Amino acid sequence: MRRSLIITPVPGAAAAEALPRIVAFVEEMAELDDWAPDLVLRSNLILEELILNTLTHGRTSGLCDIEITLESGENAVTITLVDDGAAFDPLNDEPSPDTNLPLQERSIGGLGLHLVRTMAEDLQYKHADGKNHLTLVARSGV
Amino acid sequence: MELAQERDAGTNVIRPAGRVDGSNSADFHESLMAALSGDDNRVILDMGGIDYISSAGLRVLLLLAQHLSGNSTPFAVCSLAASVDEVFRISGFNQIITVFGTLDEAKAQLA
Repeated sequence: MRRSLIITPVPGAAAAEALPRIVAFVEEMAELDDWAPDLVLRSNLILEELILNTLTHGRTSGLCDIEITLESGENAVTITLVDDGAAFDPLNDEPSPDTNLPLQERSIGGLGLHLVRTMAEDLQYKHADGKNHLTLVARSGV
Repeated sequence: MELAQERDAGTNVIRPAGRVDGSNSADFHESLMAALSGDDNRVILDMGGIDYISSAGLRVLLLLAQHLSGNSTPFAVCSLAASVDEVFRISGFNQIITVFGTLDEAKAQLA
Protein backbone atom coordinates (compact mmCIF):
# COMPACT_ATOMS: atom_id res chain seq x y z
CA MET A 1 0.00 0.00 0.00
CA ARG A 2 1.08 3.54 -0.71
CA ARG A 3 -0.25 6.53 1.20
CA SER A 4 0.63 10.18 1.68
CA LEU A 5 0.23 12.73 4.43
CA ILE A 6 0.81 16.47 4.16
CA ILE A 7 2.24 18.34 7.13
CA THR A 8 1.75 22.09 7.10
CA PRO A 9 3.80 24.22 9.50
CA VAL A 10 1.62 26.21 11.88
CA PRO A 11 3.10 29.64 12.62
CA GLY A 12 3.96 29.98 16.29
CA ALA A 13 3.30 26.32 17.06
CA ALA A 14 6.05 24.06 18.41
CA ALA A 15 7.42 21.75 15.74
CA ALA A 16 6.74 18.74 17.93
CA GLU A 17 3.01 19.42 17.67
CA ALA A 18 3.22 17.77 14.25
CA LEU A 19 4.36 14.48 15.81
CA PRO A 20 1.03 12.93 16.89
CA ARG A 21 -0.30 13.11 13.32
CA ILE A 22 2.84 11.47 11.97
CA VAL A 23 2.74 8.70 14.57
CA ALA A 24 -0.96 8.07 13.85
CA PHE A 25 -0.26 7.94 10.10
CA VAL A 26 2.53 5.39 10.59
CA GLU A 27 0.46 3.27 12.99
CA GLU A 28 -2.44 3.17 10.55
CA MET A 29 -0.23 2.02 7.67
CA ALA A 30 1.46 -0.48 9.96
CA GLU A 31 -1.82 -2.01 10.98
CA LEU A 32 -3.22 -2.22 7.44
CA ASP A 33 -0.05 -3.79 6.02
CA ASP A 34 0.95 -5.78 9.11
CA TRP A 35 4.39 -4.25 9.67
CA ALA A 36 6.78 -5.82 12.17
CA PRO A 37 7.09 -3.81 15.41
CA ASP A 38 10.71 -2.84 14.71
CA LEU A 39 9.70 -1.46 11.32
CA VAL A 40 7.11 0.77 13.00
CA LEU A 41 9.69 2.07 15.50
CA ARG A 42 12.34 2.71 12.83
CA SER A 43 9.88 4.47 10.52
CA ASN A 44 8.69 6.68 13.35
CA LEU A 45 12.24 7.55 14.37
CA ILE A 46 13.34 8.39 10.84
CA LEU A 47 10.27 10.57 10.26
CA GLU A 48 10.53 12.34 13.61
CA GLU A 49 14.20 13.22 13.14
CA LEU A 50 13.81 14.43 9.56
CA ILE A 51 10.60 16.37 9.96
CA LEU A 52 11.49 18.07 13.24
CA ASN A 53 14.83 18.97 11.67
CA THR A 54 13.07 20.62 8.76
CA LEU A 55 10.54 22.39 10.98
CA THR A 56 12.97 23.64 13.64
CA HIS A 57 16.16 24.68 11.92
CA GLY A 58 15.13 27.96 10.43
CA ARG A 59 14.33 26.39 7.13
CA THR A 60 10.67 27.17 7.41
CA SER A 61 11.02 30.36 5.39
CA GLY A 62 8.96 29.74 2.30
CA LEU A 63 8.03 26.29 3.57
CA CYS A 64 4.39 25.61 2.79
CA ASP A 65 4.23 21.91 3.27
CA ILE A 66 6.03 18.63 3.73
CA GLU A 67 4.59 15.67 1.88
CA ILE A 68 5.29 12.29 3.46
CA THR A 69 4.71 9.18 1.34
CA LEU A 70 5.03 5.67 2.73
CA GLU A 71 5.04 2.58 0.55
CA SER A 72 5.04 -0.89 2.11
CA GLY A 73 7.44 -3.44 0.67
CA GLU A 74 8.85 -6.83 1.64
CA ASN A 75 9.76 -6.34 5.35
CA ALA A 76 10.52 -2.74 4.49
CA VAL A 77 8.94 0.63 3.86
CA THR A 78 10.04 3.23 1.34
CA ILE A 79 9.75 6.73 2.77
CA THR A 80 9.64 9.76 0.48
CA LEU A 81 9.70 13.32 1.80
CA VAL A 82 9.17 16.33 -0.41
CA ASP A 83 9.24 19.86 0.98
CA ASP A 84 9.36 23.32 -0.54
CA GLY A 85 11.57 24.92 2.13
CA ALA A 86 15.14 26.13 1.65
CA ALA A 87 17.46 23.65 -0.09
CA PHE A 88 18.96 21.28 2.46
CA ASP A 89 20.61 17.92 1.84
CA PRO A 90 20.20 15.93 5.08
CA LEU A 91 22.73 13.38 3.81
CA ASN A 92 25.63 15.80 3.37
CA ASP A 93 24.89 19.33 4.58
CA GLU A 94 25.41 18.59 8.25
CA PRO A 95 28.52 16.71 9.44
CA SER A 96 28.06 13.61 11.57
CA PRO A 97 28.85 14.15 15.25
CA ASP A 98 31.91 12.54 16.84
CA THR A 99 30.28 9.66 18.72
CA ASN A 100 33.55 8.81 20.46
CA LEU A 101 33.90 11.97 22.55
CA PRO A 102 33.87 11.60 26.34
CA LEU A 103 30.70 12.37 28.28
CA GLN A 104 31.40 15.96 29.27
CA GLU A 105 32.37 16.92 25.71
CA ARG A 106 29.37 15.36 24.00
CA SER A 107 26.60 17.50 22.60
CA ILE A 108 23.44 16.42 20.90
CA GLY A 109 23.86 18.42 17.68
CA GLY A 110 23.60 16.38 14.51
CA LEU A 111 22.68 13.18 16.32
CA GLY A 112 19.18 12.97 14.84
CA LEU A 113 20.40 13.01 11.24
CA HIS A 114 23.21 10.64 12.18
CA LEU A 115 20.60 8.17 13.45
CA VAL A 116 18.69 8.47 10.17
CA ARG A 117 21.76 8.03 7.97
CA THR A 118 22.85 4.96 9.90
CA MET A 119 19.48 3.32 10.33
CA ALA A 120 18.00 3.88 6.86
CA GLU A 121 19.11 2.31 3.58
CA ASP A 122 19.19 3.46 -0.04
CA LEU A 123 19.18 7.15 0.87
CA GLN A 124 18.82 9.51 -2.06
CA TYR A 125 18.48 13.28 -2.08
CA LYS A 126 17.91 15.73 -4.88
CA HIS A 127 16.81 19.33 -5.15
CA ALA A 128 14.47 19.68 -8.11
CA ASP A 129 11.60 21.97 -9.11
CA GLY A 130 12.47 24.17 -6.13
CA LYS A 131 11.85 21.33 -3.70
CA ASN A 132 13.83 18.96 -1.50
CA HIS A 133 13.21 15.33 -2.43
CA LEU A 134 14.46 12.65 -0.06
CA THR A 135 13.88 8.93 -0.47
CA LEU A 136 15.04 6.24 1.93
CA VAL A 137 14.15 2.74 3.03
CA ALA A 138 13.48 1.50 6.55
CA ARG A 139 13.94 -2.23 6.89
CA SER A 140 12.83 -4.72 9.52
CA GLY A 141 15.22 -7.05 11.34
CA VAL A 142 18.56 -5.61 10.26
CA MET B 1 5.63 12.26 32.48
CA GLU B 2 4.96 9.71 35.22
CA LEU B 3 7.97 7.90 36.63
CA ALA B 4 7.89 5.00 39.04
CA GLN B 5 10.62 5.27 41.61
CA GLU B 6 12.09 3.29 44.48
CA ARG B 7 14.82 4.27 46.90
CA ASP B 8 16.81 1.71 48.82
CA ALA B 9 19.80 2.62 50.98
CA GLY B 10 20.91 5.51 48.79
CA THR B 11 20.20 3.73 45.49
CA ASN B 12 17.66 5.70 43.48
CA VAL B 13 15.96 3.53 40.85
CA ILE B 14 13.88 5.54 38.37
CA ARG B 15 11.58 3.72 36.00
CA PRO B 16 9.99 5.75 33.16
CA ALA B 17 7.48 4.18 30.80
CA GLY B 18 6.17 4.85 27.32
CA ARG B 19 7.80 6.69 24.46
CA VAL B 20 10.20 9.62 24.66
CA ASP B 21 10.02 11.86 21.61
CA GLY B 22 10.19 15.54 20.73
CA SER B 23 6.71 16.15 22.09
CA ASN B 24 7.39 15.04 25.68
CA SER B 25 11.16 15.26 26.10
CA ALA B 26 11.01 18.56 28.04
CA ASP B 27 8.50 16.96 30.40
CA PHE B 28 10.74 13.87 30.66
CA HIS B 29 13.68 16.08 31.60
CA GLU B 30 11.71 17.93 34.26
CA SER B 31 10.38 14.69 35.78
CA LEU B 32 13.83 13.10 35.90
CA MET B 33 15.45 16.10 37.55
CA ALA B 34 12.61 16.19 40.11
CA ALA B 35 13.24 12.52 40.89
CA LEU B 36 16.83 13.19 41.97
CA SER B 37 17.84 13.93 45.53
CA GLY B 38 21.03 15.20 47.11
CA ASP B 39 21.01 12.02 49.22
CA ASP B 40 21.38 9.70 46.23
CA ASN B 41 24.55 7.63 46.41
CA ARG B 42 23.87 6.25 42.95
CA VAL B 43 21.15 6.49 40.30
CA ILE B 44 19.86 3.70 38.07
CA LEU B 45 17.47 4.46 35.22
CA ASP B 46 15.50 1.31 34.43
CA MET B 47 14.53 1.79 30.77
CA GLY B 48 12.64 -1.51 30.46
CA GLY B 49 9.34 0.33 29.95
CA ILE B 50 10.63 2.55 27.13
CA ASP B 51 10.34 1.18 23.59
CA TYR B 52 10.99 4.39 21.65
CA ILE B 53 13.54 7.13 22.12
CA SER B 54 14.52 9.76 19.56
CA SER B 55 17.40 12.25 19.65
CA ALA B 56 15.20 14.55 21.73
CA GLY B 57 15.12 11.88 24.45
CA LEU B 58 18.84 11.15 24.07
CA ARG B 59 19.49 14.84 24.76
CA VAL B 60 17.72 14.48 28.11
CA LEU B 61 19.75 11.37 29.01
CA LEU B 62 22.95 13.21 28.07
CA LEU B 63 22.04 16.16 30.30
CA LEU B 64 21.18 13.80 33.17
CA ALA B 65 24.42 11.83 32.77
CA GLN B 66 26.48 15.04 32.64
CA HIS B 67 24.69 16.44 35.68
CA LEU B 68 25.30 13.29 37.76
CA SER B 69 28.88 12.97 36.55
CA GLY B 70 29.44 16.58 37.65
CA ASN B 71 28.22 15.53 41.14
CA SER B 72 30.35 12.37 41.05
CA THR B 73 27.17 10.32 41.50
CA PRO B 74 27.46 6.88 39.83
CA PHE B 75 24.81 6.51 37.13
CA ALA B 76 23.73 3.64 34.90
CA VAL B 77 20.84 2.60 32.72
CA CYS B 78 19.52 -0.94 32.47
CA SER B 79 17.06 -3.23 30.67
CA LEU B 80 17.18 -1.51 27.27
CA ALA B 81 14.65 -2.74 24.70
CA ALA B 82 16.28 -3.86 21.44
CA SER B 83 15.05 -0.70 19.69
CA VAL B 84 16.52 1.56 22.37
CA ASP B 85 19.76 -0.44 22.45
CA GLU B 86 20.12 0.12 18.70
CA VAL B 87 19.75 3.90 19.15
CA PHE B 88 22.29 3.80 22.01
CA ARG B 89 24.84 1.96 19.87
CA ILE B 90 24.44 4.19 16.79
CA SER B 91 24.79 7.35 18.85
CA GLY B 92 27.73 5.99 20.87
CA PHE B 93 25.77 6.48 24.11
CA ASN B 94 26.82 3.00 25.25
CA GLN B 95 30.35 4.42 25.48
CA ILE B 96 29.45 7.37 27.70
CA ILE B 97 26.66 5.87 29.83
CA THR B 98 27.08 2.60 31.73
CA VAL B 99 24.55 0.04 30.48
CA PHE B 100 23.53 -3.12 32.36
CA GLY B 101 21.37 -5.94 31.02
CA THR B 102 19.11 -6.12 34.06
CA LEU B 103 18.25 -4.09 37.15
CA ASP B 104 19.75 -6.80 39.38
CA GLU B 105 23.07 -6.57 37.55
CA ALA B 106 23.02 -2.79 37.83
CA LYS B 107 22.30 -2.96 41.58
CA ALA B 108 25.06 -5.52 42.10
CA GLN B 109 27.75 -3.85 40.00
CA LEU B 110 27.24 -0.08 39.81
CA ALA B 111 29.71 1.63 42.10
